[in-house]
Amino acid sequence: MKTLLSVIFLMALATPAWSAEYRYELKVDGLACPYCAYGIEKKILTLQGVKDDSLDIRLNEGLVVFDAENDKRISEAALKELVNDAGFTLRGLETRVLGDEAH
Amino acid sequence: MKPKKNTLTALATLMLASWAAPNAYAHDPVFGLGPHTLFKGGLELHAGAHQEKSDSRNTEAELELKYGITGDWVAGIGTGYGRLEEDGDTQTDRTPTTLSSKYRFWRNDMPGAQESAAVLGRVILNDGDVGHHDVSRQGEDYLAGLTYGYEGRKWYRWASIRHRFNRDGANGAERPDKTKVDLVGGIRFTPTEYREPDWVWMLELNYEHTNRTNRVVEGLSRELGGDQLFLSPGLMWTYRNFAAKAGVQAEIYEDFPKGQETDDYRALIELEWHL
Repeated sequence: MKTLLSVIFLMALATPAWSAEYRYELKVDGLACPYCAYGIEKKILTLQGVKDDSLDIRLNEGLVVFDAENDKRISEAALKELVNDAGFTLRGLETRVLGDEAH
Repeated sequence: MKPKKNTLTALATLMLASWAAPNAYAHDPVFGLGPHTLFKGGLELHAGAHQEKSDSRNTEAELELKYGITGDWVAGIGTGYGRLEEDGDTQTDRTPTTLSSKYRFWRNDMPGAQESAAVLGRVILNDGDVGHHDVSRQGEDYLAGLTYGYEGRKWYRWASIRHRFNRDGANGAERPDKTKVDLVGGIRFTPTEYREPDWVWMLELNYEHTNRTNRVVEGLSRELGGDQLFLSPGLMWTYRNFAAKAGVQAEIYEDFPKGQETDDYRALIELEWHL
């Protein structure tokens, strides 16, 4: 029994942290020109786990969409600061988990 | 010693050329000022060239590097190279080093539009004045400005005022201060998306006032200063993190003392990368 418990304990330790792929949809105010929006791209691509090719800046909708795989969701406060550092204002955020949880 | 005409030309050209140093940020007007800044931690590499044609032809190329301290505050350093053609004679040299900063103190972000206001300052060091050695300055010049801008998906508008505090010449000659007021409108005919080339067309009304002063040059009393009004069409083209803009200033009104040299036209082209 002791051996079995030890094996289960070791297996639990060996299991990697659960992570999930999230889709973030940011409603951003102030997005008027493509050139200015480059700052948003630069800032978002510095976030850990962001899939570069998922980034979509839709100027005519005032929407910034990207996918990221992380242990936990990126907080709204962090995204608000990021958008402000890019020179804009985060007005709304929607986040959802994509597909099944990985690993 | 140069003939009198050259000295007088140099005096007038120095005042105009030193004023015309580009203050560009990509989505700002070509000749006027706007409140546009740079994202935090961002770098901007800016290359510009302008030309003025009067009795002499003055061409300057400027390179400037800017850094985004915050999303609303940017600082930069620049220098350049100038070429003055006058009476068959050509002089080339460095143009002054400039240190600049702009702070956007008010920002109103709306869906698809941004309205903001900024203050800016610029120091023009006394370390280069191509073709104007005989009227070199006693020290640094300073520039202070205030600007407002509205940037939408279709329409743009800007207003700005700036004042340049000029140091007197090394020989004691007064170099009058200058004030400039700009009103600008712009339009983007097609609201392009992020990864598409983007065009914005602009029309600027630029007013320049140079304080009046009398100066004695080689025993000759000379009145300097006056007012000028320019109409300036221009355009901006951008693609993702690269921008190019160009414009021409055409004088539509002037009130200068007789005999004072003024520009026939001024042309400006600028390239910019965000890194």
